[in-house]
Amino acid sequence: MSAQPQTPDVTNDSMEDRLYTVKYDDPGESHLDVKVPDICAECETNDCVKVCPANVWREGEDGVPHIAYENCLECSSCRFACQYDNVVWEYPETGGGVTFKHG
Amino acid sequence: MSPELETDTPDEPNYDDEFDAIVVGAGLAGSAAALTMANRGLEVLLVERGTSPGAKNVFGGVLYTPTIRELTDFEDAPLERYVAERRFSMLSDEDETAVSLRPGEWHREPHNDSYTVLRGEFDEWFAEQAVANGATLVTETTVTGLVRERDRIVGVETDRPDGTIRAPYVVLAEGGNSLVSEGANLKETESRENVAVAAKEVLEFPERDGVIEDRFRLVDDAGVSYHYFGEGAVGDAFGGGFVYTNEDTVSVGVAYRIEDAVAADQSPEETLNAFKTHPAVAPLLRNARTVEYSAKTIPEGGAESIPELVHDGAVIVGDAAGLVLNNGVHLEGTNMAVESGYHAGTAIARAAERDRTGADALRAYPDALEQSFVVQNLERYAWMMDAVEEDRDLLFEDLPRAFADAGTEYFRMDRNPKEVHAENAKHAVLDALGGWTGAAKLAFRYRKMVT
Ligand SMILES: Cc1cc2nc3c(=O)[nH]c(=O)nc-3n(C[C@H](O)[C@H](O)[C@H](O)COP(=O)(O)OP(=O)(O)OC[C@H]3O[C@@H](n4cnc5c(N)ncnc54)[C@H](O)[C@@H]3O)c2cc1C
Ligand code: SF4
Ligand code: SF4
Repeated sequence: MSAQPQTPDVTNDSMEDRLYTVKYDDPGESHLDVKVPDICAECETNDCVKVCPANVWREGEDGVPHIAYENCLECSSCRFACQYDNVVWEYPETGGGVTFKHG
Repeated sequence: MSPELETDTPDEPNYDDEFDAIVVGAGLAGSAAALTMANRGLEVLLVERGTSPGAKNVFGGVLYTPTIRELTDFEDAPLERYVAERRFSMLSDEDETAVSLRPGEWHREPHNDSYTVLRGEFDEWFAEQAVANGATLVTETTVTGLVRERDRIVGVETDRPDGTIRAPYVVLAEGGNSLVSEGANLKETESRENVAVAAKEVLEFPERDGVIEDRFRLVDDAGVSYHYFGEGAVGDAFGGGFVYTNEDTVSVGVAYRIEDAVAADQSPEETLNAFKTHPAVAPLLRNARTVEYSAKTIPEGGAESIPELVHDGAVIVGDAAGLVLNNGVHLEGTNMAVESGYHAGTAIARAAERDRTGADALRAYPDALEQSFVVQNLERYAWMMDAVEEDRDLLFEDLPRAFADAGTEYFRMDRNPKEVHAENAKHAVLDALGGWTGAAKLAFRYRKMVT
């Protein structure tokens, strides 16, 4: 035998499947935004995009990230990741946003 | 929601000056503070933004309960399993080298005060204990700012219509994403070197009955807490992976520093996927189905990151105060959250007896915290993060591989005498450490872990 035996079946869901496991109440208005889009256009690292575990921040062609806020898990990582302090992070409207059954 | 839990979600709360204290956030720290104050006769308002306490919360996780047991009757708490085994594994890309502990004592109550729980249930139960003792809980209400009069904090703004509520004391228990404390300039935003991103899943087994017991070698409500570090867990990042058994589900996750996450070539979600398929982890999860995906940050700046804890009319507790010990071997925040909530609540109750709200009247809280395990533990490990950072390649990449190689050598079956294998094994580790000098230096550097 040479290599490792095949790992047994582990379901690694696609992001879409994963987000199915998360319940979104009416997300209302976006609670995420960029403060100064010009800075984003110049930011070459897009750290907000890289750190997000839910694919909310996506690289945009104009250099400004596009935000699929309704997928947000409210983890707050993007807020800490942006070194330009350019992420506007507010709490989603009361009663809205993500609800975890287990946590 | 259980019927005895009276949650109040008024459209127009008019609670001005009806309460002695307002607690922002019904997590572990907030509910512990509310419970403590209610027990001492204070009128307490506990404000939570989720639809119920715990609805927004995520952790690994093992709840550490020494203080909770003192604060309330713990009999009916929604615990999943007690921790009967703790296991630490070093993973290279394909090897595992593990140390595992299953002391007999952990099977006996109080089970080393370590229980797996799910926050959605536990936080609701814990807040209920505060309510049962007289606190008022308001859910679906977000605190958006603090009300000040001159330099004194005299209440909170909420997002409800007419939602300003005044009270002499405010407890900020909002967790690591502390927008209110930061917005009020009570603390600075933590830098990304001091915050970890965590991605987590809860998995369910289709064949349910007995599957967790069989797979993890467990009887009854015994459970496990498995920690993984090294390249195979989270690449070359600073952090690790975990597997915890719940009653009939398993929690799996990865957590590593945001600074490393932005430098990595995969997203946290991809890191979690890779961890789940590591040959040491995958068999534990075979055929399991994801029932929840979640994420959260962990403040891990330690002792140096603790902000000023008391202000005129307000205190900061739990994750909002950066009270988490995360050094690879220990991941403790729940015990610190409850302990800080308890000391803050006690200090406020004493100050209220004397009708004083100034920071100096609340000093008993940081003083007690300093004397407690919370600050002592954080200070004890303050040096460690720097050391680990310096030895990062060695600890996360070279050593996991060296230990696997040493083990493979030590037990190698061929026609050489054992002595040859032992010698080879020794060299595998010594080479990684940089010889005897390197080993001695390393032992010296980490001596404080055991002394
Ligand atoms: C992935 C992960 C694994 C972990 N594993 C462990 C472990 O195994 N063992 C352990 O001991 N610790 C663990 N921790 C740490 C532990 O979870 C925290 O230290 C602990 O939950 C902190 O409690 P808290 O009450 O301070 O904050 P939280 O539990 O975060 O509670 C804050 C509460 O405030 C509410 N809130 C926030 N802002 C507002 C607002 N403006 N208005 C109203 N409500 C608000 C939130 O909805 C929430 O309910 C882990 C953490 C993570 C992320
Ligand atoms: S939010 Fe920050 S990290 Fe993201 S693109 Fe803009 S400046 Fe860069
Ligand atoms: S809070 Fe977390 S999930 Fe939401 S956008 Fe930011 S990084 Fe992504």
